[in-house]
Amino acid sequence: MIDGGTRKTSRFWADRPLAVKGLVVVILPLAILLGSLVSLYLASSAETRAENDVRRAFAIQRDTYQVHALLAEAAAGVRGYVLTGEERFLQSYRQAQDEVPATMARLDTAIEDPVVRGHFETLRLRERDKQDGLKQIVSLAERGTEVSSEVEDALIANKLALDEVRRCIDDIQRREAIVLDERRARVDEVRRGFLVVTGVSALVGLLGSLSAVYLFSTGIVRRVRKLEADAQALAEGQRLTDRPEETDEIGRLAQRLVRASALLHAREHDLRTSEERFRLVIERVRDYGIFALDPDGNVTSWNLGAERIKGWRAEDILGRHFSRFYPPDTRDHLPAEMLERARQSGSAEDEGWRVRKDGTRFWANVVITALRDEQGELQGFAKVTRDMSERRRSEDALRTAREEAEAASLAKSQFLSRTSHELRTPLNAILGFGQLLEIDEENFQGNHREAIGQITKAGRHLLSLINDLLDISSIEAGGSDLKLNRIEMNELLDEVHALAFPIVASAGLSYELEQAEQPAFVRADSRRVTQVILNLVGNAAKYNRGGTFVRLACISGDDFVKITVEDDGPGIPAEVAERLFTPFDRLGQQDRAKIEGTGLGLALSKSLIESMGGEIGYEPLPRGSRFWFKLPRPVAEDDTPADDLSPLTEETSCQLD
Amino acid sequence: MPARLIDTAEIVSRRILAIDDEEPNVLLLRSLLEREGYTDIHCLTDPKSALAAYIDLEPDLVLLDLMMPEVDGFQLLEAFGRHDRAEEFRPVLVLTADTTLQARRRALALGAKDFVAKPFDVVEVALRISNLLETRVLYERLRDS
Repeated sequence: MIDGGTRKTSRFWADRPLAVKGLVVVILPLAILLGSLVSLYLASSAETRAENDVRRAFAIQRDTYQVHALLAEAAAGVRGYVLTGEERFLQSYRQAQDEVPATMARLDTAIEDPVVRGHFETLRLRERDKQDGLKQIVSLAERGTEVSSEVEDALIANKLALDEVRRCIDDIQRREAIVLDERRARVDEVRRGFLVVTGVSALVGLLGSLSAVYLFSTGIVRRVRKLEADAQALAEGQRLTDRPEETDEIGRLAQRLVRASALLHAREHDLRTSEERFRLVIERVRDYGIFALDPDGNVTSWNLGAERIKGWRAEDILGRHFSRFYPPDTRDHLPAEMLERARQSGSAEDEGWRVRKDGTRFWANVVITALRDEQGELQGFAKVTRDMSERRRSEDALRTAREEAEAASLAKSQFLSRTSHELRTPLNAILGFGQLLEIDEENFQGNHREAIGQITKAGRHLLSLINDLLDISSIEAGGSDLKLNRIEMNELLDEVHALAFPIVASAGLSYELEQAEQPAFVRADSRRVTQVILNLVGNAAKYNRGGTFVRLACISGDDFVKITVEDDGPGIPAEVAERLFTPFDRLGQQDRAKIEGTGLGLALSKSLIESMGGEIGYEPLPRGSRFWFKLPRPVAEDDTPADDLSPLTEETSCQLD
Repeated sequence: MPARLIDTAEIVSRRILAIDDEEPNVLLLRSLLEREGYTDIHCLTDPKSALAAYIDLEPDLVLLDLMMPEVDGFQLLEAFGRHDRAEEFRPVLVLTADTTLQARRRALALGAKDFVAKPFDVVEVALRISNLLETRVLYERLRDS
């Protein structure tokens, strides 16, 4: 029960606010000190009173002796006066008459003790008797009476009266001596008591101060120290567990520290969990080698991908320098350069050969990123490596294929150029000599002239065949140098008119032209488009037996421009129409044997139009035929305008079929 | 035929050197030139001897094929250019079956004065020859005056 009570008290004390505690600690010793001072004051005033009593007792003794002495001297003086009659003996008498009443009055006020008071009243009576006696004697003597018996009697009576006085005084003195002793004893007692009070006050003050300091140091300093220790622990990242119950400021502060610790701990836990998760993710990435380096380039972490790509296990590579991943020819400088670049600009990327643990090489894409803390201090590097060998191989394969294709293409164009040369060279002699013979034809017979004509005609046919064939081949080989420009078809048709009109007119047909109402822009090679139009017009003119016209029209569509070439000739049988654009497939050969042509014109036109992104086709008309082609419109506004004036444009002859 | 600045007799007397590795083409050129009345015609089918002939003969006009074995027409054009003085005008007419733009550009850049593709029109070639010789004669007159 007592223990519980103490605990309750100490809890009550602990829960008080610091201001209250401070007040108590300061006031308690002060109050004790004040109490000591009060008791000291009381003790000293008691002593003063006792000493005053002693002094008064001495004064009473002195005054009573003085009364006796004055009366005795007055009696002696009176006696002398009586004997001598000399006035001078009365001086002491008169002095007693003056001083005794004053002394008696002093005694009257000073005497307090009742016993002494009784003696004093007796003394007062005896003193009057004495004074009266002396007065009577003096008056007797003045009347000049000789020493008579009356005087004698008076003197004796007076002498007795003095004795009475003396007896009273002795009584008073005795009593006063007793009273004095009593008072002295009381003064000693009071003084002793004073000493005790002083000692006790000093002791109590000391103890009070000590207990205040004790309270302060045990109740507050101890807890502040504990708090400091808690804060230190918190700073070191330890977890605070014991939650104090006190509710004063220190207690609340301590509780908050504990709460902060719990919060910190929870956050740390979350962070660790997330870090752990992140680490696991990194570790399990298989396709990328992800690892960390310290600022000097030594490996500090290693993931599964890195192990898979480089062949090193984590325990073998951790702590080693990453330059060992580089082949000997770059090992001396590239790793340092990469780190320096990453240090300077944050990250560095590289693609090149790296070596595995077993010494084999692989083609890698590497990104090194500098890792810096919040103060910008370099903590190390993160390195991500990808094995690009597969891609490198496919790129190599692709490059090889492309190079082979390019080589094949080059070989083909060289072959075409060679073939062209080789075929033209003998044709030059054939046509040249044929032409010379034609010039001199008057030297020859009619049948020889015809033979010469056949030679030059066949020679020219062969030449146009060669030209068409080479054209088609070079287009198919992608070697045709198409110059795609933004061109306006109405303008082009105007230009074509000068070339097409004579062809149509020489076949005895009328030439009709229908242009588009709006400007019709296309993206095409104007020279090649002209070639195709002339081919189609030439065909229409040649095969339009019994018809009257060849009509050329331009139709502007949404995303294309269509050119049609129509005639009102016999048309083309449906069963052969599908083979129109096939090379060397001259239609109705037996019927058309007399018509000159290589059979390549439409095939070449098709190749040309398709190489410009267009379409070509044929459709029969109720009477006649319609050939058409479409060309795409320019894709964007930034197409350069037609620059057909370019001096580099290759000159070609349009081969008609 | 349009009026000429130079008498035809003066032109056809000029020396022509034809270089072509194909015998029939050389024969064609000789036939054409003879028919036109030229008298001083020299033909070569071996391009290796062409430079020596060029130096020896000092022709007024060279008819040159481009694609020839061992020494081609381009090399010969360069050799001719190195041999002649800078101000000399000795025209070369290139006659070739190589019809590519590159061949034409290169030949003309190397100093050829004209270029005709094979198979050629004999009348056209005869006219170009006479035109070039006319220029050659005019050049000589200017030089010697």
